[in-house]
Amino acid sequence: MTAPLKTIDDLQRLRDDLAARPAAEMDIRVCSTGCRARGALRVCQALEDAIAEAGLGETVRVVRTGCLGMCAGAVAVAVQPAGLFYRGVTVGDAAEIVERTVRRGEVLDRLCWQGADGPVPHREDIPFYRHQDRRVLANCGRIDPTSLDDALQAGAYASLATVLSGMPPEDVIEQVTASGLRGRGGAGFPTGRKWQLARAAAGEPKYVICNADEGDPGAFMDRALLEGDPHLVIEGMLIGAYAIGAARGTIYVRAEYPIAIEHTAAALAQARQRGLLGEDILGSGLDFEIEIRQGAGSFVCGEETSLIASIEGRRPMPRSRPPFPAVEGLYGKPTNINNVETWANVPRIIAAGPDAYAAVGTKRSKGTKIFALAGKVANTGLVEVPMGATLREIVFDIGGGIPRGRKFKAVQMGGPSGGCVPAQYLDRPIDYDSLREIGAIMGSGGLIVMDEATCMVDIARFFTEFVQAESCGKCVPCRVGTRRMLEILTRITNGQGELEDIDRLVALGEMIRDASLCGLGQTAPNPVLSTIRFFRHEYEAHIVEKRCPAHSCEALITTTCSSACPAHVNIPEYVALISEGRLAEALDVIRRRNPFASVCGRACDHPCERFCRRGDIDEPVGIRNLKRFATEQVTDTTVSPALRWHGPRSGKVAVIGSGPAGLSAGYFLALMGREVTVFEAMDVAGGVLRVGIPDYRLPREAVARDIDYIRDAGVEIRTGRKIESLQELRHAGFDAIFVAVGAHKGMTPGLEGEDLPGVWDALRFLREVSTGLLTEMAGAAVVIGGGNAAIDAARTALRLGAEPVTILYRRTRQEMPALPQEIEEAIMEGVRLHPLVAPIEILGEGRVSAVRCALMKLGPADEGGRRRPVPTGAEEVVRTDHVILAIGQASELDFVTPDGELVITRGRIETHPVTQRSGASDVFAGGDVVTGPATIVQAVAAGQRAAQAIDRFLGGKGELPITAGFASRRKPDESAAELPRQHPEAIPPQRRRQSFEEVLKEYTVEAARCEARRCLRCDLE
Amino acid sequence: MTQSHDTTPASEIPEPTPEQIGSLLDELAGVELMGMLQSVQQRWGYLPAPVLREIARRTRTPLSRIYGVVSFYANFHTAPRGRHTVRACRGTACHVRGATKVLSAIERTLGITEGQSTPDLEFCLETVACLGTCFLGPVMMIDGEYFGNLTPESVQTILANYGTGE
Repeated sequence: MTAPLKTIDDLQRLRDDLAARPAAEMDIRVCSTGCRARGALRVCQALEDAIAEAGLGETVRVVRTGCLGMCAGAVAVAVQPAGLFYRGVTVGDAAEIVERTVRRGEVLDRLCWQGADGPVPHREDIPFYRHQDRRVLANCGRIDPTSLDDALQAGAYASLATVLSGMPPEDVIEQVTASGLRGRGGAGFPTGRKWQLARAAAGEPKYVICNADEGDPGAFMDRALLEGDPHLVIEGMLIGAYAIGAARGTIYVRAEYPIAIEHTAAALAQARQRGLLGEDILGSGLDFEIEIRQGAGSFVCGEETSLIASIEGRRPMPRSRPPFPAVEGLYGKPTNINNVETWANVPRIIAAGPDAYAAVGTKRSKGTKIFALAGKVANTGLVEVPMGATLREIVFDIGGGIPRGRKFKAVQMGGPSGGCVPAQYLDRPIDYDSLREIGAIMGSGGLIVMDEATCMVDIARFFTEFVQAESCGKCVPCRVGTRRMLEILTRITNGQGELEDIDRLVALGEMIRDASLCGLGQTAPNPVLSTIRFFRHEYEAHIVEKRCPAHSCEALITTTCSSACPAHVNIPEYVALISEGRLAEALDVIRRRNPFASVCGRACDHPCERFCRRGDIDEPVGIRNLKRFATEQVTDTTVSPALRWHGPRSGKVAVIGSGPAGLSAGYFLALMGREVTVFEAMDVAGGVLRVGIPDYRLPREAVARDIDYIRDAGVEIRTGRKIESLQELRHAGFDAIFVAVGAHKGMTPGLEGEDLPGVWDALRFLREVSTGLLTEMAGAAVVIGGGNAAIDAARTALRLGAEPVTILYRRTRQEMPALPQEIEEAIMEGVRLHPLVAPIEILGEGRVSAVRCALMKLGPADEGGRRRPVPTGAEEVVRTDHVILAIGQASELDFVTPDGELVITRGRIETHPVTQRSGASDVFAGGDVVTGPATIVQAVAAGQRAAQAIDRFLGGKGELPITAGFASRRKPDESAAELPRQHPEAIPPQRRRQSFEEVLKEYTVEAARCEARRCLRCDLE
Repeated sequence: MTQSHDTTPASEIPEPTPEQIGSLLDELAGVELMGMLQSVQQRWGYLPAPVLREIARRTRTPLSRIYGVVSFYANFHTAPRGRHTVRACRGTACHVRGATKVLSAIERTLGITEGQSTPDLEFCLETVACLGTCFLGPVMMIDGEYFGNLTPESVQTILANYGTGE
């Protein structure tokens, strides 16, 4: 059956013949395009060998398909008709797949996609597929793209047959126009109108071009379509050629896509051989031929006038339009250029009819859009959704969210011509127009997810470097302007920028946008302008603080972990010392930046681990556990001779508050030779560490040990001494004052009934428990709030005997600000979580008896990207005996307010971000009183910065001790590559409720050594 | 001028003979310039100057104009290159997943920088804007083969094994 098809009936007969052929009983579909990078072809061979060996060659077929979509699961395999989907398949799995799945019909759990509740065997149940609407990609990953028969069986060229069966060309254009199809290459020009112009233009022959020069870094939709379903694109071009009256077509494809070229060339040869290309196609009188032209590595060739110049063999510089290619294109003749995905939509429009096609999408953007989902997202791959889907659906529902527990920052859309879309727009329906409003563009559909470890200035620099290199040089604003922008951006990422640079970038960007000829130049500044619009604070951090908030710009960081540690502890150094068994030295290295080693070894939120490079390979190094190990093994609380100040002390400094910020400042000032007195209003030192964090998480012995160490450094702590005014300290002869009073006042929501007996604020509750005033709690308790204080209060109430303990939160668990691990443990211990309720009134006669709540649902994102709670109108009454309010914390600032010399905004003292200096030259402040409730290590860092600034204020150099040069400079040996993360033991949940015993145990010596060896020693690079 | 970004000394290069040039260009008669250049580069691995001169003569095109085209594209080379081409991806997705460190590791391992060939003409190193395999980033391609999810550690192993039958 390889004779050319002469008529439309021939085509139908061939289709019937194919349908009547005996089909294989089972198809094993293997992505043999994108997944080749992971050895897909070897997997195919191994499967075929195993099938042959099992004697199943007649009934089971291995189909080498195009992209199955879930590229993160390479090599991806689908088993039909069972509908199974396997991921991460290797050659070694082939025999087992054949033996168990093919022969015995069993599911191999280990190869299935893993959901929260275990393996999900069926493709249609996997969220990645369930939330998609794969129309244009329907056959991609289903058929063998090198087989015309496969394509025909899946319906290829049926729309062509419809068109050639007597539909006038004008009607075809009318249908495409009515469908609302807009160009998928980026700009979104209506396709029907473009065709109309080319049809109406005078001149013969006319040309159609398929633009497959998918040059945007981060886009791979066109590649996947040509690789996985090339006949769909050819059919689209045939229909377009018929409608426009074109005789010749060209597919201009990047040379970087060898598989796309191979499959397209094969498809063209088959179509030609079968008479679907050539003269008098299917007896309709249509003559049409398509050839492939390869690019040679030039981004500007995606611009249509450049592309034409490239095909013609000229230096591919864009020219001004008009005349548009529709009038004067290839070789001066009318030419219609559409992108691959646009062509691939055409057969669907004819098949379904324009109305059905236009039923999907938004008002002004119809149909579906394919996105290449990549970057910091769990399920990278090829995604097709209706126009109007939200980024949250794409990134979280389909993409599975951000790996490694990191925070979502932005999505970059449209490549070098596009922009970054921040979290606040996660719930906005996306189409051509809505994206333009927020400074991004649809582009060809590259969608790169960025998390908190992605530096937005670096991204702007990256794209500017790209467009700078790709600028053809014709227009001076683009050629020179982008170079100037690149120089400025490079300077900023190197920490040498000035604040005026931001305005310079904006001015340059606007000029380049207005004065360049082609799309490349006009859009070149977009990545810079959009990052400045939404992430100006990151630019400012690089310039003012010389800090890269994403810990990514190499000139501004040492290692990612040490940079991510607010106190900048030299982590690789002490971890290496632990691996060498030099524990006292390890502890000393920690204490050179953080005196609260015992505390932070237990209760730190360890941002270092989120940024640990080992986490990109398997799991991050257990840095916090290692720190704790060192402090448990070495209990000595004397300051090492090298650190201790030996001379006479000068400069009197008063510190108000003995929490982590105050004591850290005092400690570093003492090491610098200052005379420090810390004043503490309570009877015990330690602030929130002592009275705010429960014992099961932070035993008071650990706090006491660190405070002993700080005292040994020369800090005097006076407890039970409340400061009434700053003036009082000045009169007492203090040269400088550090205010670090924390945020110990629980905020109240102002609800009816909040003064009833049985209602607590969480801080007072925790304080009374930790000072022994409250030892029992009977009956039911509810905690209102979602932060760490709420979790601490709930777990504490549980330990006092309350039953049940329920947390009421107005959003859902995902939006809770508390550390995920803490939430997890609370639930494990028996705390109930009741999400989506907001209290309206506390009920009770003489004593609390219930909370009346409004039921909530999640609305669109707020500024920070968290979804806002919206009342549903329904209500619920929750019975309880105790209510603990954990909705916010404030500072008590009565003692500074009368002075009027400090700037206080919304209850917080304003300070300089680097020096912590307040409005008064001798007054510095840090910790929660400046930031609002934050982490312990952030407070330590604030104390450290303040100590440096205060020392300089007093005439010193403000230098911190050196932290490098202690450990050996050997890289870990190769055996360390295989070591898994070591987990310390924890006491079982059922035992936890009965005591305040510390939940996590420390590492064994053996485990600590192993864990320390897992460090990649990035500091040695 | 034509040797701008290529570094291999010209003395080691076997130049194509006039006969070889003649027979290939005979086959390519009627082909557009881009296709002609691509075929020549496929044949010799680069665009030898004598061939460009012969193309200019046959197509009656000024050599300067041909050079204008050749030098515009990233993929055309005017000097011979290593037997295996290592293409490290600089795409956005690779970049955010650590491509910079991967590229430094490749450069350290091969002892050459971007655009150079190793002295034994075994490897040459290029960077590309995007290989379109962003889901596997960081990625490199050696000749036709993709290697994904690279780390500075893994590229050393891959390069060491390359060409030894693996």
